[in-house]
Amino acid sequence: MSKKKLSKEEKKNLKKLKAGRLAKRDAVAGILFITPWIIGALLFLAYPLITSFRYALHNIRMTGVGMRFRYVGYSNFTEILFSQTEFTTEMISYLVSTVISVPIIVVFALIIAIMLNQNVKGKGFFRLIFFLPVIIVSGPILGMLNQEGAGSLTSIDTQAITATLEETLPGALADPISDLFENMVTILWYSGVQILIFISSLQKIDRSMYEAAKIDGGSGWECFWKITLPNIKPMILLNIVYTIVFISNNEQNSIIGLIQESMFSGTQEKGYGYASAMAWMYSVVVVLMVALFAALFMSKKDVYEKQVKKAKKAHKKEQKQLKQIERRSAKNAKKNAKAARG
Amino acid sequence: MAYKGKRINPQKFERGHLKIILILLPLVIFMAMPIIFIANHAFKPMDELFAFPPTFFVRSPSMENFTKLIKFSRTSGVPLSRYVFNSIIVTALTVGFSLIFTTFAAFALAKLKFKGRNLMMSINQGALMFVATAVLIPRYLVICNFGLIDTFWAHIFPLVAYPVALFLVKQFVEQVPDALIEAAYIDGATDFTVYRKIIVPMIKPAIATASILIFQQVWTNVETSNYYINDDSMKTLTFYMNSLVNANNTVSGQGMAAAASLIMFVPNLVLFVILQNNVMNTMAHSGIK
Repeated sequence: MSKKKLSKEEKKNLKKLKAGRLAKRDAVAGILFITPWIIGALLFLAYPLITSFRYALHNIRMTGVGMRFRYVGYSNFTEILFSQTEFTTEMISYLVSTVISVPIIVVFALIIAIMLNQNVKGKGFFRLIFFLPVIIVSGPILGMLNQEGAGSLTSIDTQAITATLEETLPGALADPISDLFENMVTILWYSGVQILIFISSLQKIDRSMYEAAKIDGGSGWECFWKITLPNIKPMILLNIVYTIVFISNNEQNSIIGLIQESMFSGTQEKGYGYASAMAWMYSVVVVLMVALFAALFMSKKDVYEKQVKKAKKAHKKEQKQLKQIERRSAKNAKKNAKAARG
Repeated sequence: MAYKGKRINPQKFERGHLKIILILLPLVIFMAMPIIFIANHAFKPMDELFAFPPTFFVRSPSMENFTKLIKFSRTSGVPLSRYVFNSIIVTALTVGFSLIFTTFAAFALAKLKFKGRNLMMSINQGALMFVATAVLIPRYLVICNFGLIDTFWAHIFPLVAYPVALFLVKQFVEQVPDALIEAAYIDGATDFTVYRKIIVPMIKPAIATASILIFQQVWTNVETSNYYINDDSMKTLTFYMNSLVNANNTVSGQGMAAAASLIMFVPNLVLFVILQNNVMNTMAHSGIK
């Protein structure tokens, strides 16, 4: 069709179909969809967060007429870090125990998920049982259970493990690890949601991939490493983040208890500003930890893409060299011709 | 078996499954322990509650704790039914609003492109990792300025934006294939139709999971009743149960605490049993070959 044949109206329509129109429509829809959430988040998440940072720089005292602010700069932070010992010691033990328990929870969840994804009799019942702890661990019931000692493995003699740990490792490391053994059951209880997420991603893997691998002689072990694991990789990261956040913001967490305690303590130097400063530092540490795990697991390019890129680079280099050689040989030919003439 | 998902159990038993079942069974015992414990604990008479070493199973079950709890609740000014009503209203509204907002936001963040998308996601992730207790007072100021003290909204608003749920749901929305959405657009669907007809049905398991998480968050929450509500008749059941236990933080209070925790736990279980079919069913069918 030639351009002349288009009527005016058609031209108008063509104009309407400008590039970027879809993107604009997407943007409007996106903002519309997210508005209710933004309003909620601004009022009850973002604004309180900023305010609490402002509070962290103040010494706040509750009086009968309201709050009394006194600007103290960074002294809340320095006070927590250098003068008071409780925060730093709690922090170290929290860090060590989290770094250890997160992989345990995620790996445990993965193993259970793989087993539950098999065609086993009673699968529905098993899935139900493994998800059930989720509806308990977030409540105050867990605290009660821990008090009763239900969270520890009484059948396994943890004493011997604890003793050997304390002999071989420095105290700062041994305590969290022995705590870990004592709270093994609690850790397993934390893995309900993670199991669920893993199962859903396992079911999404294309069956024909496994069949193809089997035909090519791949063993179950190889299938796991080459097919299952790469396919569920994004979900591993999701689970890690979820686990860290869950452990960190749990009511059972001792640092949360510490923050609450100092928030409502009536002493001169503590109080709300002090607690805010503590919460901010704690959050920064949690974010750093998530970032650390994310950096370990989030390589954006997969192996295949990397290889393609490498091959492309090599190809480019080769062509460059070829061109160089061509140029040189042309030059040489010219020279030779000149020499022959001369 | 009581809970069969939508026929996810295989019909025949094979010998090869035995080893998997053997590994799973002991773990099942550990996993089921808290529930068994709570149920047992509530029926323990006084002497068994304080027995040393603590017993796991109840030996001579009695309703003593429950009758005590009911008797005590009669003495307070506000009837128990009022607290139950408050709790149900608050929980239902919060879960409903939260699910709508969360799925909207997750759809927008995962599938629509607009300016500031990444910024919003990082704000959410930041909020995810922030300690909730630290924002108590700023939140109080917000609620105070809007004049929401002593209303149901004071219970609802602080919990509607639940970052964990958004994070979870967004991950699932991302897995919905783009081709499906594009096909819908080509057929003339609006964004809202895509959301209603494609996104929501496909992320049902995520919605079920998120609703369980949000429900718990709301149901077990005492902070809003503690800090944002002065009127006793506007507080929730959880708060009442907690105050019962704390007010009688004596020997007799322990029995009531055990009974109260069983009562608080039952709605969780009921909701879970209702939703578990969806939760377990996960996303087997992507709709695309």
